[in-house]
Amino acid sequence: MVAAQDGHGGAYHRLLGEMSEWLTRYFQRRLPPGEVDDAVQETLLAVHRRRHTYDPQYPLAPWLAAIAKNKWVDQLRSLGRRPLGELTDEMAVGDHEASVVSSSVLATLLDQLRPAQAQAILLVKVQGYSVEDASAQIGLSPSAVKMNIHRGLQRLTAIIEKAPDVE
Amino acid sequence: MSNESLIIDLSSDLAPVQRRSMLREGALVLALGAVELALFLTMGVMRPDMHHMAGSPFLMWRVGSLGLLAVVASALAIRSFQPTARPRRGLMLACSLAVVAIVCGAFVTPEDVGERVLLDRIDPASGVLCAASIFVLSLPIVALLGALMRRAAPTQPRLSALASGIAAGACGAFVFAFCCPFNDPLYVVVWYSVGCTAVAGAARWRLPRRFRL
Repeated sequence: MVAAQDGHGGAYHRLLGEMSEWLTRYFQRRLPPGEVDDAVQETLLAVHRRRHTYDPQYPLAPWLAAIAKNKWVDQLRSLGRRPLGELTDEMAVGDHEASVVSSSVLATLLDQLRPAQAQAILLVKVQGYSVEDASAQIGLSPSAVKMNIHRGLQRLTAIIEKAPDVE
Repeated sequence: MSNESLIIDLSSDLAPVQRRSMLREGALVLALGAVELALFLTMGVMRPDMHHMAGSPFLMWRVGSLGLLAVVASALAIRSFQPTARPRRGLMLACSLAVVAIVCGAFVTPEDVGERVLLDRIDPASGVLCAASIFVLSLPIVALLGALMRRAAPTQPRLSALASGIAAGACGAFVFAFCCPFNDPLYVVVWYSVGCTAVAGAARWRLPRRFRL
């Protein structure tokens, strides 16, 4: 981001690409599928317009998360104002069973870990935070976060191996 | 437009930007306040007995509490323009500071009050003029804080606007305190509060409408 503030287009392109992936995951959990791309693009535009407000002495993730949260609220408000269309029998929707089952299984598995391990895995492996950002959020050192992830994944592997009915 | 093509558009021809600096913005607000005070005093409106009043507890209380509130609220407003800022606690601090200043006013000995009744002490005809003067004097600071807010990225624009209004109102009241001829703490508490509240309300109502993240 610092390079982007100094006008480095290549670094900015890479940064926006990574932000776009993170934002897509962020909005997928909070908005209907049809609204995700709009919200991602609105947030990228806001990031572009307000990139001078980022202070390099603070981590980037909370700055981005604050803007994304604002855009999420904006999107929810605009959804509330939009007139609802009538649902017809011809309107088919995709099957979400697999993703629902996956998240339910993941939540059950994470419940069996120590809270620090579950939180580290959730932040880094599921939500896509860097180890440094996750350590800042949890309040542990990066090496402790890595250790928690490593041990947590080992424990998850052991749990999954013991449970034959989990696919 | 896909995300990728938007990213290509945004990253091509990227110009360097000047990073936002809270210190620079604070210095701007301070400089504008100083210029406004200097202009106001050079117009010859300073109360003629200022030399006599200079060391009095009443003037110390009035100028000191308004100056402190102006500085704290301005710092809070500028800080709240950061996307990650949570202005609610700072606003509580500013409001507590205002309440403490008002309570301290009860311990300041009023001058020339005599046996006047409450309505005479409040003097609504002059009070409305005082409140209106505070409102007008706060407009340049509101405009500056509004411009800074538009350029920044507050994620709670209503609270940021309220903080800006409190800061501007306190600045306007601080400048006006040098020419206000009334020496009654009750009068000051009532009409200065009215002026500051009007500015804060107007800023809270108007500034978020001109802001879009």
